[in-house]
Amino acid sequence: MRRGRSLENSVLAAPVVLFLLLLLGFPTVLDIIYGFSDVTFETLRNPSFNGLDNFRTVIADDDFWHASWFSLKFGVLTALAECAIGLFLAVYLAPLIRQHPWLLAFLIAPMIVSPAMMGLMYRLVLHEFVGPLPHYLYTWMGDSPAFLSRENVFLTVFTIETLQWTPFALLLLYMAYEAIPLHVREAAAVDGVRPLKRFWYVELPQMLPTLGIAFFIRFIDGFRVFDNIFVLTGSGPGGSTMSLSIYIYEAFFKSGSIGKALAASILLFVTSFLILLLAGRLIRGRAE
Amino acid sequence: MRRRLKTALRWLVFAVAAFVLNFPVLATLVTSLKTNAEISSNPGLWVFKPTLENYAAVLTVSDRLNIFAYLQNSLVAALIGSIVPIVLCFPMAYAIARREYGQRLFFPLVINLRALPLIIFAIPLYMMYRSLGLLDTQLGLGLILAVVNLPLALLVLVNAINDVPLELEEAARMDGAKLGSVLFRIIVPVCRPALLTVFIFGFITAWNEFLFGLMLTTRDAVPMTVGASFFFASGGGGVQWGVAAAVIVVAALPPMLLGMLMYRRIGGSMMAGAIKG
Repeated sequence: MRRGRSLENSVLAAPVVLFLLLLLGFPTVLDIIYGFSDVTFETLRNPSFNGLDNFRTVIADDDFWHASWFSLKFGVLTALAECAIGLFLAVYLAPLIRQHPWLLAFLIAPMIVSPAMMGLMYRLVLHEFVGPLPHYLYTWMGDSPAFLSRENVFLTVFTIETLQWTPFALLLLYMAYEAIPLHVREAAAVDGVRPLKRFWYVELPQMLPTLGIAFFIRFIDGFRVFDNIFVLTGSGPGGSTMSLSIYIYEAFFKSGSIGKALAASILLFVTSFLILLLAGRLIRGRAE
Repeated sequence: MRRRLKTALRWLVFAVAAFVLNFPVLATLVTSLKTNAEISSNPGLWVFKPTLENYAAVLTVSDRLNIFAYLQNSLVAALIGSIVPIVLCFPMAYAIARREYGQRLFFPLVINLRALPLIIFAIPLYMMYRSLGLLDTQLGLGLILAVVNLPLALLVLVNAINDVPLELEEAARMDGAKLGSVLFRIIVPVCRPALLTVFIFGFITAWNEFLFGLMLTTRDAVPMTVGASFFFASGGGGVQWGVAAAVIVVAALPPMLLGMLMYRRIGGSMMAGAIKG
């Protein structure tokens, strides 16, 4: 009986395990082999081991550190902005949404748009001559900033990402807000606590775990950003919007430095793994 | 009176937020209905002479741009990318939910995949696909999209199977049913809503994906998201904005329609994904 069960379990697990080993396990092995090798597209089949050379190249590359800094800054700032705006909208609009749930559809619609398509839309929206936004700014203010210039481009891509993913935070936080037990709210109301105070001392603490999760997910997604920035600016102007993902892409496809791209991939992998481990600890620590 | 004012203010905030959040979509939609002449003379949000000529132009196939091929590639790859994870994860989800098999190591490992930057796997996959002949094929693209969708599929299915009452299963077992028939006759029917959610959410995610489409396809299996970006690379005479806008609308329409039909469900599964992830 026991034996039959464990065989059954293996059969149940086999398809997905094999699939993942093939599609992720094997590439990971390749990652490691080529990461420590001197390799070009011509010598893919017989790479020569070169130790930590690729890693030295990456670490000595200013662009790598710029890209890391960009990704970190982008991830943290967009996640903060999305959670702050999302929290405000979720709580402030909650009475309205409770009465008319369909309103939520309009607020979360941007999430369903592909980030790449969103980036392309902004090529149009921000365009100097045919874009609606510069058009209205010229008409009403008499001037329109160069959205994609070196000075403004970070703010522009930050805003684009934030506008697309604030709905995610909003949705999560609205659900957490609605899940606060009624008696908690009523107790506070009976005690005559003013709404703002009630929010700060009673409701917000109840929503903190969700807020933490929303921040973490948004940070991860912002940190690995690729699509929308890639279609909007490439990595420019002058590499000023190069995220880590774009750095790796360009090292591989534009300059063909396979070893460098893979070494950077491995560094990114290790960093992400450590962050996940840490986050897991934090969440579990809270739970216990 | 004060109450009314407060409600009015809330409606105002809602309207502004909805407008700002959806502004690019709105602007693109409006532009796609303008003639070329009107786009340059009137970039605003109003159309004086609506036209469908841009859509006609988008649907015209040329050597360089073939929207039907892109749509078909996206459809096939997204179907593979959304169905394969369900088929693969369902038995595993049962083992995890009912027998705590793989719960300690495999389950958290897969869930955490969602948080890894995908680019890490893209380059070795490119090399692997090249030697397997999967580069620039719908199957190759579909398979990696299946990997992308796998964590959420596993999570939602485990939760769904956890919610199936154990008595249902035990009754069938008493009657001598084998595991296979328990899975197909009892668990699958009860989990149908969850399966549908996973499918639709996976389809949208796969349809919207860009990075792997960009890296793993070049000509024959280019998906819609990547194909749409080709319309922005000016073929000689600068970007035709009306046509470019129309192509985005076409590319964004399938997930929009699916999402609008399903928005409540998606909310629920995202919540589940977020809390456990």
